[in-house]
Order: sequence, then structure tokens, then C-alpha cells
Amino acid sequence: MNVGTILLGLAFGASLSAAGVLGRAYVADDDAYVAHVPKLTAAAAVLLVSALLHLTYQFVTTDYSNAYVWENTASYLPLLYRVTGVYAANEGSVLLWAAIVSVVTMIAGAVRGIPDRHAKLVHGLTLGLVAYFTGMLLAQNPFASIRTAFPGAPPGFVPTSGQGLNPLLVDPYMAIHPPVMFTAYALLAMPFAIGAAHFVSLFRGNGGVFPTWHGSVTRWLRLSWLFLTAAVALGGLWSYTVLGWGGIWAWDPVETAILIPWLFLTATLHAVSAYEPTGRYRVLAPAMTATVFALAVYTTSVVRSGVFRSVHSFADGGIGAAFLVLMALTAGLGVVAPVVYWLLQPDDGADDRADDRWLRRSNLIHLAVLGFGLLTFVSLWGLSFPLLRNAITGLEVSVEARYYNLWSYPLVLGLLLLLGFYMDYEAAGRRRALAGLGVFTAATLVGAFVAPTETWQLASTRADDALVYQLVGSASAASVLPPVAYAILGTVKRTGGRIRAAASRNARLKETGITLIHVGAALLVLSLPFMYVFAGQASVMATGVGDGSMDTSQQAVPGSDYSVRVLGHSRTEFPQDPAVGTYALSSEQVVRRGSSLNGSVQTVHGRVTDIREGPRATVVQLDGSSIWVGLAGNETTAPVTTGERIVARGRLMWDFVPSADAVVLARSETIGPTADPPENVVPTRVVAEGVSLAVYEGDRLRASGVAGQRRYPEQGGMQVRDVVIDRGLLADTYVIAGVSDGTASITVKQVPFVTLMRLAIVSLLLGMSLVALFDPRHGAMTDTAVRGTARDPNPEVAD
Amino acid sequence: MKPRKAMTLAFFVVLLSIGYFSMHAAPTLSDENYSYHGDTRWQTNVTAAEETAAAEGKPIVVYFWTTWCTYCEDYNREVYADPAVQSELDDFVKVAVNLDDDGGESARMQQEYNVNYPPQHVVVTPDGEVLVRINGYAGTEDFLSYLDAAEGRYSGESA
Repeated sequence: MNVGTILLGLAFGASLSAAGVLGRAYVADDDAYVAHVPKLTAAAAVLLVSALLHLTYQFVTTDYSNAYVWENTASYLPLLYRVTGVYAANEGSVLLWAAIVSVVTMIAGAVRGIPDRHAKLVHGLTLGLVAYFTGMLLAQNPFASIRTAFPGAPPGFVPTSGQGLNPLLVDPYMAIHPPVMFTAYALLAMPFAIGAAHFVSLFRGNGGVFPTWHGSVTRWLRLSWLFLTAAVALGGLWSYTVLGWGGIWAWDPVETAILIPWLFLTATLHAVSAYEPTGRYRVLAPAMTATVFALAVYTTSVVRSGVFRSVHSFADGGIGAAFLVLMALTAGLGVVAPVVYWLLQPDDGADDRADDRWLRRSNLIHLAVLGFGLLTFVSLWGLSFPLLRNAITGLEVSVEARYYNLWSYPLVLGLLLLLGFYMDYEAAGRRRALAGLGVFTAATLVGAFVAPTETWQLASTRADDALVYQLVGSASAASVLPPVAYAILGTVKRTGGRIRAAASRNARLKETGITLIHVGAALLVLSLPFMYVFAGQASVMATGVGDGSMDTSQQAVPGSDYSVRVLGHSRTEFPQDPAVGTYALSSEQVVRRGSSLNGSVQTVHGRVTDIREGPRATVVQLDGSSIWVGLAGNETTAPVTTGERIVARGRLMWDFVPSADAVVLARSETIGPTADPPENVVPTRVVAEGVSLAVYEGDRLRASGVAGQRRYPEQGGMQVRDVVIDRGLLADTYVIAGVSDGTASITVKQVPFVTLMRLAIVSLLLGMSLVALFDPRHGAMTDTAVRGTARDPNPEVAD
Repeated sequence: MKPRKAMTLAFFVVLLSIGYFSMHAAPTLSDENYSYHGDTRWQTNVTAAEETAAAEGKPIVVYFWTTWCTYCEDYNREVYADPAVQSELDDFVKVAVNLDDDGGESARMQQEYNVNYPPQHVVVTPDGEVLVRINGYAGTEDFLSYLDAAEGRYSGESA
């Protein structure tokens, strides 16, 4: 039992009892003990945040008595990466998630209070989630003692150095990506609770909660969309700089897994914006709201349970099973309950006001919702069907990037055309809008056949490919241009009119936000195919790099306009000349740790106070203490002199000989002066090797810097890339170098439209911030009063 | 039928057809004994491959790959699709090791040849002695020259 575990235990008690009180109060419809709930919620939040801070403190001070700290950090890491080690694996990530959910619950409770029976249910559900997460943490504890990692170790045993952080995570993008993502997931917990509570309430004949909470749901969804978009973007940029292949997206299972909730959340935002309490979407909008979180849990199970192995599987473990249970629970409440309700409810024909016109704005919105639904399905299915197929037939089938790209591409173009039409329909009227749609659809189809060179083709097709792949794959990337233009023109035209007509500053800001989001999305779609189709690369080898005999003149890179000058070679080891105290124990520390060190391999340091040479061994006393270093066998001449400061490494034997407390059995290669310690005594964590180079395009200097790789010898020799990137307006120049055995293999890539993609992401984030803050109906700044039953007509998609 | 209902029905029809169609169009990546990369076929049973190599006196080229590695796709598209590479590879026994396999054989190979990221090729003698290592991606020409070097060293050694 330690401080961290006690904090978690108390948080579990607080959140579970609060959830229990609320659940009982909801069922019994009374207020017994409900007055205590705010205090219990606040207590759970404070306790979980304290636990997180405590764990962070252990990481910062590298307290290796905690097994999780020992596994995920090392003393040589700078402060930032010691902090981010907290969420490098399952336990810390779940703690982070739990802490954020508890804070969200506390804020939601404080803002709105628990005014009625439905609020009890909603808050009961979120507190239940907090309790579940905390329970998971108690089962797989981030504060477990180091003795769980070393079951045989004596009490009081503490390793002197940590395992280190996964090298892929030693990156500024990865330092903020996980908290941003878990914030997004935590924010989804509120909409989930509201959606699930809606159906529980309907089943119990209490009339549902969604109409009252519509504004609240909208705000939570928008906020989590903002964070989720940022998380996806940060992940993509991380992959661009760290993985060293010059792209942002590879349809790695885990990338796909975060895209699924993002797509579905986007669909949900559209559905919720068209929601009418008694009319359309009265089942679908709450159902989708609850499902987003279920999908987020599903994708997290994908990452953490080890079902799918991928580049992200650095964090697999027993917490997977708990996630699978959570997945079943959230899917039950978020997916099964709405479907059952939908099947059971009498079709009273209230839907749609019996209007049979096809061309209505609400129908267009519905198409958008369905389109995003299909996109979600493509990703979800791509992630799931290889497992199904493998389970059924035993065949391993591959889901290549082509699957996702070629199915998603026509859907995305369709959505853009729909967006352009929707916007145009409002601004220009029926006839002109239909004509516009016809023109742009025709242009898209023509564009698919206009390929000035073969590189324009979306994918290389093979003769035995399925028809759809051949069809879409052989289309030209030019087909993306008309839909993008249509979407941007339509959006700008409509919102331009709306902004002029808007009555208030807030309404204008909201319309600006809507414009930025949709234009940003169109630009994003524009950048992606070109980024991949037109990415070019060429390589050149440079020899003699290690011994300085390399050619430092400008060398052409065959097959490109680039040339490269190798200017020098560098090889650095970290930590560099570390202080002896960071990797070796002083004789005093050895005495203090006592017999717990018996039998372990240790590095010790101290001043030589006595040397005794015997016939079969030589022993050296450190600091006049009872700690000796022994050199056995034929290595009888000690390479040290009295008064010298030395460091030695070897197995430490406690009470080995009668006259000394401990003897460290060293060999002549593992003993030496502190000022110049033997190589295999000083730990090397990172070997960074690279070449400094300049890359020219024609005669112009494009990029210069050091490209190479970092190898982590103590972490299985894992390598990460150091790349040189020159960010250009139209294209990035991206330089990778693999340096080994005196040869550098240098690859220069040209990646177009990365800057456009960055702009598009900024536009998306800025736009959603404006909408979330200033929307006159549901903005965070504008809607301070809690609304009554919102039966107002929906101006957003009124026909 | 009301428009929205019709759209929703159409949605499910499209969804089911995408699902059915894509599942059947997915290329086979591996069956019991082989995995397929580009237009080349690689054995997955390491022990059997070692026996074949010893019997035929050929060196073994071990390919370490994963499904999510983008450079492996480059290999499939650029290198293995090249007829010159294919005929050169015929002089070797080809073994593919998926780094994500949980089986003991994959782990043994990874440990034996100290491989921890894809793609990597290690060309070894039938006795497991390393002739050449290709770390990361090598273009067709470089790949061929690596294979040549391996063959040269192998015949030098066995001569």
C-alpha cells in the first residue's frame, strides 16, 4: 500500500458511492443523500488529479521504487520527456483519461447542478464511468511496487537506472498528442451519458432527456471535435517528422482507429444540428451522440488490448480485457438500446411532417450524415474484416492503403459536391443550384479522365484487381479539383450573404466559423491526394563518411533535379560524460542499501584507500569503508593505485568474505579511473549518427542540416530518424539519411502541399473555435443561462 | 416512400455491398506456408527453408516486414515487381518473417539477427552466418548489388 494506491482507492470509493447515490435517487425518485454528490464528485476529481500529479512527481524524480516509472523513463531524459513518460503506457494513459473525465464531470455538475431526475441519471452515468476507470487502475496499478517487476528481489530493492522511454515518443508532438486525445475522449463522456440516459429514460416512460440537454450536447460535441481534430493533426505531424517516410498518414490500424470516432463525430454534429425534439432525428441524433463514445472506446480497445498489432502496440497488456468489458457496456447503452427502442416504437408518422419533397435542406443534411456514416463504415470495416476473415477461413488477407483510399475517395468527392450544392441551393435557388451541380459533377467526371502524365493516376492498378479498384484507381487526381472548387465557391457565397444579413456580432462570428470549417475541409481534401500522388523521391549513396574521406563536392541525385553536398559526419553518444553519481553507487549508498543488493550487478565508485594483493585475487577498498572491489583469477595486478578515484562494475556479493560487508567482483575491463572510465561501465543510451548536408535544387540551396538516425542500444537497438525538412509554400523538401558503416544513403523527397494541409488544419480548428464560442444558440460565450425545454424551431435547417 | 427513408435504405444497400465486395476483393497476404509480396512468394516456415537451403546449397534471404510498414509497400511496388530482381531472387531461398507474429519462430529470428524494425533483409548462409544486411529501403539497383555482394561472399566462402 502506498500513497498513490490510497489516492486511487479513495477516488474509487468517492466516485462509486456518488454514482450509487444518484442511481438510487433516480430509480426511487427522491433526493436522499443527493446533497452529498457534489462533494463526492469534487473529491473524486481532486483525488484523481492528485494521483496523476503524484505519478508525475515520481517520474520527474525518477523514483524507481515504482515499477511503472522504472519501465517508462530513465534519468538521462530531459524534464519534458520524464513528464510525458507518465502516459507512455496503459496505466498512466488510463489515469490521465480518468482524471480528465472526473474533472469534466465535476465542471458539468457545478455548472448545471442536479436540478431534476434526469440530471441524476446523466451524472450517475458519468460518475459510473469515472468509477470504472478507477477500478481498472486498481486492477492494474500505475503505483505498483518495483517488486512486481522483480518478484525475487529482497525488500527495499530499487534499481539504479530506468528502462527508458519508448524512443518513438521522445518528440514534442508526442508530448502533447496523448493529453489532447484523451481530453477529446473524456469530453465525449458527457454526450454519451446524455444520449444513453435519453434511452434509459424513454424505456422507463420518463420522456427522454435529449430535448432539455440539446444545447449542452452540442457544446460538448463541438469541444471534443476541436480536441479530436487537433489530436489527429498532431499525430499526423508526428508521423511526418519522426517515422521518416515523408507522409502524414499510412492507414496504420491505430491511425484508422482515431479517424473512426472523428468521422462519426462529424456525422453526429450534422445530425444534432438538424435535430428537432418532436420531429426528425428524435431517435437518430441521441443514438449517434451516445455511439461516438462507444466507438472511441472500441478504438481504444483496438490500441490497448493487443488485438491489432501495429506501430502503436507499445502499450499492450492486461488492461485490454477491462477495455473489452467497457466496450460491451458502452455499445450496449449507446448502440443496442437505441436500436431496440427504434424497433419497438410505434411509427406514428410524426416524422417529416408528411412532406414528400425530395429537394429539401433537411434531406441534404441527411445525405451528409449518411455520407459520413459510409466513410466511418469504410474505415471501421477495413479495421475489422481481416480479423473476421482470419477467424473464419484462416487466411490472412491484407487491407492495403488502397482499400481505404479508393473506397473513401468517391465518397469524399460526393460529400464535397453535396456541400457545394447545399450551400448554393440556399443562396441561388433551386434551378440555378441544380444546374451548378450538373456542371460540377460533369467536370468531376471529365477530370477523372484528364491525366496529363501517368503520375496523376490515383493508384497503380493491376490486371487482376477488382473492378472498383481499377475504376477508381485509374482515375486522375484532377477529379478532386471541381468538387473542391464547388464546395469553396458555394460556402463562401452563402456565408458571405449570411454574414451581411446577420443581426449580431456573434452570428457573424459563427458564420465565419462555419465558412472556415468547410473551406478548411475542402482544402484538406485538395492537399491529400496531391501530397501522395506527386511525392517524388530519389536517392544517392555517399561513401567514406566515417573516416572523413568522403566526397564533399556537390553530387547530383540521379533521377531528380536535386544535388547533395555532404559536409561532415557526426556521431554523438548520450549521455555524454555523465557524472559518476548518475550511473554508479557510492560506497556510502551501498552500505545504506545493504544486503538488498546481494547478487545483483552494480556499478560502484569511490576513492581507493587500500589494495591487498593475494595469491588468487586482489581486493581494493573504497573510501575506507567495508565495501571492497575484488579482481579474481589471474588478473592479480590491480590497474589502480591508492588515492585514486575509481569506478567498477560487477556482481555485488554481500557478506562474501568475513572481513568486508560487500565485494564487487569486477574484471580488468570493468574497473578504471573515474576521470576516464572504461567504456563498458558507462551506460550509452542513445547513439546519434548523422551527416551534415546541404541539398540544392538546381543551383538554389533548398535545405541544410543534420540528417541521420538515433539508435537506442539499451532498448533493443531501436532506431528513430532525424530528418531535415524545408517547409516550402508549394512543396516540402524532405531529407532522410541512413548512416552506417561509413556509408550514408541519402534520400531526398519532395512532398507537395504540406503547407496547404497545415493551413487547412488551422482553418478547421479556428472555425470550430469560433462556432463553439459564439454560436448565438449554443455557444459557450453566448448561452450562459440554462434553457428550459427547447421547443424552438430549428433555424439552422428550417426549410 | 418518404425521401429520407429511401435515402436511408439506399445507404444500407451501399454499405452492405461495400462490405461484401471489399472483403472478397482483398488480396491474400499469406496462407499456411507462404506470404506474398509484390509478385514474389516467400516461405514462412523458417525451419523448412533452412532445410531446403542446406539441401540446395543456396543462401537464404530473410525479409522482415509488417503490414503497416510503408517502405514494405515500396518494396512490393518497386523492387519485387522488377523481373531482374525476381530472377536474382531465384538463386536464394526466400523467407519472410512478419515482425508482428507472436509465434516463437518470428521471435527467434528477430533475436538471432537483432532485427527490430521493418523493413530489413538479412542474407545468411544455410548455417545462419550473416552475409549481407539491408537495413531499411534500398532501390532496385542497390538491392540487386546487395544480392550480388551476398552471392559473391557466399561462393567465396564455400569455395
